[in-house]
Amino acid sequence: MPLPAKAFQLWLHRVAPSASTADICRISGIKRTTLAQQLVRGKVAETTLVSISRALDLSPLTELASFDHYAELGAPPQPPTPAELVSQVATMDLLRAVISRSSPAYGGYGDSDSASMRALSPAPHATSVRNWVDAIDDGELRHRVSAASGVAPQNYSAQLTANRLSPELVVATARAAGVGFTGGLVATGLITEDEAGWVPGAKQSALDALSDGELAALAGERLQALGKSLRRHEHEQAQTEKIWENLG
Amino acid sequence: MIAILQWTTLAVCGLLAAARVPSAVRGQNRSLFGIFVLMTFALALSIDVGYTALDSFLGGHNVANLLLRFVIYGAVMLAGYRIAKGFDSARSVWFIVGPIGMAVLAAVSVATVVPFLMANTAGTSTGLTHLPDQSPHNTDLIRLYTVAGRFYPSYVAACLLPPILGVLKRRILPRVVRAGAAMLLVGAVAMIVLSLSDMLPRSLAYLQYVISSTAVLGLAVGLALIWVGRVRAARKPLRR
Repeated sequence: MPLPAKAFQLWLHRVAPSASTADICRISGIKRTTLAQQLVRGKVAETTLVSISRALDLSPLTELASFDHYAELGAPPQPPTPAELVSQVATMDLLRAVISRSSPAYGGYGDSDSASMRALSPAPHATSVRNWVDAIDDGELRHRVSAASGVAPQNYSAQLTANRLSPELVVATARAAGVGFTGGLVATGLITEDEAGWVPGAKQSALDALSDGELAALAGERLQALGKSLRRHEHEQAQTEKIWENLG
Repeated sequence: MIAILQWTTLAVCGLLAAARVPSAVRGQNRSLFGIFVLMTFALALSIDVGYTALDSFLGGHNVANLLLRFVIYGAVMLAGYRIAKGFDSARSVWFIVGPIGMAVLAAVSVATVVPFLMANTAGTSTGLTHLPDQSPHNTDLIRLYTVAGRFYPSYVAACLLPPILGVLKRRILPRVVRAGAAMLLVGAVAMIVLSLSDMLPRSLAYLQYVISSTAVLGLAVGLALIWVGRVRAARKPLRR
């Protein structure tokens, strides 16, 4: 659920007492019309609060926690599990790790120049939301989230496919899985890894801790999912081409 | 009122056909131009002025009406084939131009030509509504002729319903294209309703003009919207 406009305005008055709405929009890069519309509707998006917090050099997580229904975010954050960290490694980085480990320098059979490893790209990545949920899912998670939040399973799945999840559902999912809240907030791109208080290099160490077998299996799953989505995209593209060819 | 509707429909189709001329000259999808031209011609023949002019030239035996029927069949078949193919429905293509489609067209053609030749059609009358010979035998023949003429478009329209509904469900497509498919759906449903409209009481017969105009406009505007979608898609690459 987005933030109530009233509470948001009180918050804004507290953190930036002298700033006008125009100032706030200018420093945070939010369009004035967007903010005005959210205020009129009485619902302010969490991303708006995060942008403003960043512009004012405040911690988005702490500020979000100052609102009633995000109060649980205020507790000392539970660090992400290794599986959550690995889920936030982009598929291409994961594949690079596979190749890198195959280098003779690590006793592998691959090319000698494949040992070089670039720094991991920052989260979120193209399928980070679904990968995060898969990483914490014990098989029953979606049912529990659906029961607790009242969101239909197919709507939940649709959000995952679109690589997004509302902050409210992120919190509900993390709670149902018994993990910390930061993993999902990072996976959905609401806050950065730094803002979540993740140790620099945490993702890399979690990735390094995977055995070769685990890494290969994980990379295989990711490749399979990628292949599926690329094929679907190509199919849709072909169908669109067909429309243009015959009716355009 | 009906005249305004008919002239508006004619103007819309005429403008669309004219707008398609540059693409047709470039050799781009000429069949779409063909569909619009045939539709414009058919509409011109549905209006008193156009009909009377052509029929008096053809001898005043309403041969122009027979011509109109076949122009409609041609336009409907061409549009149906293109839509089914564009919306990627091999099944509908087969039902429209495959053996069954051809058999239906042949049967409809026979059911159109034979009653026409048997009936006394002297005296130009747009839509054959006010023929001088109003004997029961003659009216029955004309009625059969009309029913056959409306059956073919509704057959093709029914074949197109599944692919059109399929396209409406595909969220990935540009909104204009789905709006076009929605207009095609309106047109197709109107064509089907038109062939059932003979059961309407005589006092509501004017509704037939409304329904047939809806069918034509739905088809024309739907095709035009999809065309707009292509033009827009060419300007910016397809969203990934």
